[in-house]
Amino acid sequence: LSPFTEDNADPQVLARLLHKQWSLYSVTPLYGFRGARLKDYGRLLGAFVAAEKQKGLAVEIGVELDIKVAVSSFPELRGSDRDEAAVLVQLSRSAASQRSSEEKVIWSGWFCCVSGDDLSKNVPEDFTCLPLFLANGAEGYTAIVGSWFQKTFDCCFHRLAISPLNLSWMAAMWTAHRVDQSVSALELVFSVPRLPYPLDISYAIHPEDAKALWDTIQKTPGEITQEEVDVFMDCLYSHFHRHFKIHLSATKLVKVSSAVASAHCDGVIKFLRSQYTTGVLMLLTELAISWVQ
Amino acid sequence: MDEIVAEYIRRTVLKIPRDEIKTMLQKWGFLSEAQLRTLNFHQTKENISQDVVQLCEENSTDIKQAAVLDIIYNNIYPNKRVWSVYQMSKTGEEMECFDLTTFKKTFKRHLRSALKNVTISFREYEDNAIWIRIAWGTPYTKPNQYKTSYVVYHSQTPYVFISVSVLKSNLPLLCQALIAASNYHHIREMELRSHSLNSLKDIVFKRYSQVSHFTISCLSAFSPSFPFPPVADLRIVKENKKEKERIQRLNREAFGDGPQPKLEFAQYKLETLFKNGPKMDALDKKAFRCVVKFSSPHLLESLKSLAPAGVAESPPSQLLTCIPQKARNYFKIREKKDVFPESFVSP
Repeated sequence: LSPFTEDNADPQVLARLLHKQWSLYSVTPLYGFRGARLKDYGRLLGAFVAAEKQKGLAVEIGVELDIKVAVSSFPELRGSDRDEAAVLVQLSRSAASQRSSEEKVIWSGWFCCVSGDDLSKNVPEDFTCLPLFLANGAEGYTAIVGSWFQKTFDCCFHRLAISPLNLSWMAAMWTAHRVDQSVSALELVFSVPRLPYPLDISYAIHPEDAKALWDTIQKTPGEITQEEVDVFMDCLYSHFHRHFKIHLSATKLVKVSSAVASAHCDGVIKFLRSQYTTGVLMLLTELAISWVQ
Repeated sequence: MDEIVAEYIRRTVLKIPRDEIKTMLQKWGFLSEAQLRTLNFHQTKENISQDVVQLCEENSTDIKQAAVLDIIYNNIYPNKRVWSVYQMSKTGEEMECFDLTTFKKTFKRHLRSALKNVTISFREYEDNAIWIRIAWGTPYTKPNQYKTSYVVYHSQTPYVFISVSVLKSNLPLLCQALIAASNYHHIREMELRSHSLNSLKDIVFKRYSQVSHFTISCLSAFSPSFPFPPVADLRIVKENKKEKERIQRLNREAFGDGPQPKLEFAQYKLETLFKNGPKMDALDKKAFRCVVKFSSPHLLESLKSLAPAGVAESPPSQLLTCIPQKARNYFKIREKKDVFPESFVSP
């Protein structure tokens, strides 16, 4: 399938994504979104957030501090020039100390599109394609920001679930591109539904050994095929079966983690290394687009 | 009464579910019946605990007495802690008669000779269990009543159950004090850990219902359609009935008939060969290192239900069924050389 692109994105930008837990959403194209009006959007969204808080839909009870909203553009975060520049929305609150008027970011949301040609080429002029949305912070704020965008740009947000198939793909991808000498295991977490007592199975493989296995499977360096991913997973499942006589294929793969990143089927991701972040965003963009279409 | 003691009593009472406070205070026995009658157990726990502290003030309760209340709480709610199992052994000599007084004296002396700042409390229970509570200090600070370890020792057995929580560095000292006091020579930690203290006891004292072929064949004789309820309409035939019965039978032979001891997890560190790759030669000689961890609110029952659910094969893997018999839930598995390539060695 798709060759693995080298990471050309600005490491400083990518650093903002690291070590935070992001909830994933797919977003339909935004109608009437203008890159030149970001400052206005910030003001309008800020007013909306304040109004929602007064209504009593405040996220944090008893906190009276003002919330500032900043909307900014990041052209460095995209797959190619055909993609829209990423848009970052940040909610911050001034820290309540006499010493400094420091601003603490309490919520962030990224709209982005990494190699989303499949969607953008089919969409009429007035629409902006930013199908992947990552949110970090209180769910209440995600809901408020989401509803403002939905009202203002006539779009829809959907929680993005990551299927076991996609998780397997990520497992293979992260194994194939061993980042450094780290000994973070490749961990697969399975859940067995419909039992009288629920069972979770964590299967953590030494990264060197996972890579050695992958190397016997991969045919073309730099390329990963679905067939290779299937063989990789089958091998891991067979090894497990040899010892425990349990069919992992009959269970649900719910989480995959490695030194590069971790992903959960409920649509939660955490980036741990800036290398390959763009690659993961590309995969997630593809996933988001398949939900939108 | 010391402020520290007052606060400690207050916090201990707060932990107790409101409906249990009266019973526990009665078990404790440091407040008189008259004093207990003055307590209003229908108010908030915060208020109840304050009132209890007041009464303790009247009695000038000290830390040793407060510690007893803590033991009682932990004895009734042991599952809030994680327990490890240790086995003591001795070379040669016969077993001497166990004397409780000597045990307590020797234990305290041994511990205090190395660390003066400790609070040591004992309480004996009917099943020959001795509960020991130790609050740890340092050479320079008084014992911290919130940094405690618990030991449960059944004097007629070589087993000790320890819940260390923080300050694991004190563990060797604790172990030495135990073997000195109980007249053993060695102590080793078993690879067995759980929240459920009673289940750990069930496993090491072999109190769980082990496999009984007699039971199984008897039950089959009474009802031909066992384990399914007799079917009223003979035109209804259960698909794969024979197969399902076979699975049930093999499962029960492997896991036993009765309720399983309650464990929360099992961990296997595997260093076996990888035999399922497409190009065997590359990986053939090297160990494929991985760690597998199973977790469940009731692990053994969960594993037992896998084969009937179609997720595992019958008969089940011995790596799973051996947990209670081997009295361990942490394993290191290596490849067994020569004869049976499919069997594993667990050191």
